[in-house]
Amino acid sequence: MKFHGNRTRRAVAVFTTAVLAASTLAACGQQPSTPASPTTGTGGAELTGTITVWSWTAPAKGLEAAIPGFQKLYPGVEVEVQDVGNPAIWDKITTSMAAGGAGLADVLNIGIDYMGNYVEKFPGQLADLSGFGLGELAGDFPAGPWKSGQGAKGEVYGIPYEVNATGFFYRTDLFEKAGVDVTTIKTWDDLLTAGKTIMDATGVPLFALDKAATAADSANLWQLLTNLQGSFYFDAAGDITLNNAAGVKALEIIKQANDLGIVADIPGSWDNLVAQMKGDKPVATFTAGGWMAGQLTIDGSGMAGKWGVAKPPAVAAGGLTAAINGGTYLSVSNTSPNKAAAAAFVKYALGTLEGQEAVYAAGGMFPGYLPFITSTSFSKPVDYYGGARVNDIFISQLDEDTPVVNYTSDYARALKALDDAQTQVLLEGADPQTVLDAAAELVAQQTGRTIAK
Amino acid sequence: MTVTTTKGSVDAVSPRALRVPDRRRRATAGYPRWTPYLFLLPAILLFAGFTVYPYVSALWLSLTTNRGGETTFAGLANYVRLLRDPLFYTALKNTFVILIVQVPVMLALAVLLAVAFNSVLLKARALWRTIYFVPIVMGLVAYGILFRALFSSQDGFVNQLLGAVGAGPIPWLANGFWAKMTIVIALTWHYTGQSAIIYLAQLQAIPVDLYEAAAADGAGAVQRFWNVTWPGLRPALVLTAILSTIGTLQLFDEPFVLTGGGPNNATLTVGMYLYTNGFRYFDFGYASAIGYALTLIIGAISLIQLRLTREKP
Repeated sequence: MKFHGNRTRRAVAVFTTAVLAASTLAACGQQPSTPASPTTGTGGAELTGTITVWSWTAPAKGLEAAIPGFQKLYPGVEVEVQDVGNPAIWDKITTSMAAGGAGLADVLNIGIDYMGNYVEKFPGQLADLSGFGLGELAGDFPAGPWKSGQGAKGEVYGIPYEVNATGFFYRTDLFEKAGVDVTTIKTWDDLLTAGKTIMDATGVPLFALDKAATAADSANLWQLLTNLQGSFYFDAAGDITLNNAAGVKALEIIKQANDLGIVADIPGSWDNLVAQMKGDKPVATFTAGGWMAGQLTIDGSGMAGKWGVAKPPAVAAGGLTAAINGGTYLSVSNTSPNKAAAAAFVKYALGTLEGQEAVYAAGGMFPGYLPFITSTSFSKPVDYYGGARVNDIFISQLDEDTPVVNYTSDYARALKALDDAQTQVLLEGADPQTVLDAAAELVAQQTGRTIAK
Repeated sequence: MTVTTTKGSVDAVSPRALRVPDRRRRATAGYPRWTPYLFLLPAILLFAGFTVYPYVSALWLSLTTNRGGETTFAGLANYVRLLRDPLFYTALKNTFVILIVQVPVMLALAVLLAVAFNSVLLKARALWRTIYFVPIVMGLVAYGILFRALFSSQDGFVNQLLGAVGAGPIPWLANGFWAKMTIVIALTWHYTGQSAIIYLAQLQAIPVDLYEAAAADGAGAVQRFWNVTWPGLRPALVLTAILSTIGTLQLFDEPFVLTGGGPNNATLTVGMYLYTNGFRYFDFGYASAIGYALTLIIGAISLIQLRLTREKP
């Protein structure tokens, strides 16, 4: 085996190989049910075979970029990354899992919102990666996202691929024109006041929502506002909390903005988001995950210098200004004949500095691997944002005491109920408390969960 | 085949022995009895594998529930839950509103179109027939994108047209009532041509002498339509009414691509609700129960329609 490159890479490679060798041996002892593959029990460097990876667009590009480096360590393993599209990937995984895992790819890119559902509804379909030496990575990832990828008994079903802290993106040119100083905006109340000023001065709405929620779900803002108050649809015990004080306050803020006439109604789609980034369908602000910082420089390249990024304002003065806005995982399917090789690829792409550098450079997904995001190369000034160290804004959020978000297996139902409640508020002027109570009742009726008192 | 009974017993068995081979010979014409089944076998296997098995499997699924990954027998729990589910009733109501508005409008339009297609006054008939039939072959996704663009509440072409004549804008996809109307319009656009072609085939089977006789008796165009065309169309009308009703009760494609069942469940159909429960919430037991409930409803309505439209003896 030949190594090219510097000492760090070599050290990483040797380390990875050693860990894998040890862990695959350990796996043999722990998991007698694992189908014996030709590679199990031998050194990692001798892994052979072909593994396929299911992902979509930008994340797929990132993973593809990890292949050359991976193959230097494992020349016997061929990796094929398939861009199967999002949301098509969820139906693909669902139907394969419902068929007992037939036809699943070896490595699956899974959204945090689907993770709990797959783990609970299709038990045994995702491999416990702690048996493949990935358990030791726990300390290298932020605790919240790491925990959401775990099973009830601490099984490691997914390694965080994207960890999206929240960016508050604002149009510096519009703020300037309206005479609003963004640093004075501490809370969402401040922001709505500023939004009115901006609307009056420039005619541009503060932000956009898909009010009817007919094109896609439209709950990102509500989720952010609820997160900023340390709450979510469910609490840690899985009881329904979407209609608690935090949930109602979040919907009241949205209603208030809508009543002020500063919310544009733009159907939710990627094209419409890009139109906002480019200023074709102008909005003064939007909130998005950390990945947006990189995406803006690509799709909104003509707007350099006109976008700024900050932490989101707090809901109550002095409250949280950080929220984990979703994320994705890499998992290995249990029916994969090549689990060891698949796990080795996941480990290389997400759990090594070299792999992370390649993945981040090509895909731009905001990573979760702490040794990488705390490295100096990651926290560099970005010309597009006037030389601001944009990634620091996201990194600093990982230090705040954000709640561990419990998506449960019923997230999709709760999301739908919330969307419908919000639509009633935005289009019919309904009362937030009333519609959220009804939504909570509906989710309770559908899932048998109880509403938290 | 010949009689092969042993000598001496021939007399005793002769009536039966003679009759049986005789009948066999006529029935099989020299081939084994199971020959027809052999030819039917592929169809039987396909039917068993892809129709009977899913039906039985879904029936079983509808009696189970999935808790923590364990599929357990739950008796009629899913059906009881269905009866108490407000969203199921919303879905049923929406489906019936769309059905009651859409099917009569579409069938009436289709009759008018078929009569026009069949008219001797019409030039370039093949062209017209093709134009109206083309929507049928249009793919679901293309059709969804097209209608979304046309009916966009913000900058859709339809609202621009309405604006040009001083009307609107109408919140096509953002308001419950108008979203249903958009679905009705999309369905009508998609399927009217199909019904019209079926009617056209039926019209061409009506003998011309009936019209000539009616004309000779002094019947005008309207009288000829009601007394010759309409009764002649009857079999096709019954067929299309039942097929369209079943199709609309199963409605899924249009709300799926146009509105996602929204806003606020205003276009949630039973088909959409089934899909969402199965493939979004992974609640296959409940989805199967919805499927069986829908099957019962369709069966009952089709029976009623057959009764109502039965020819009087």
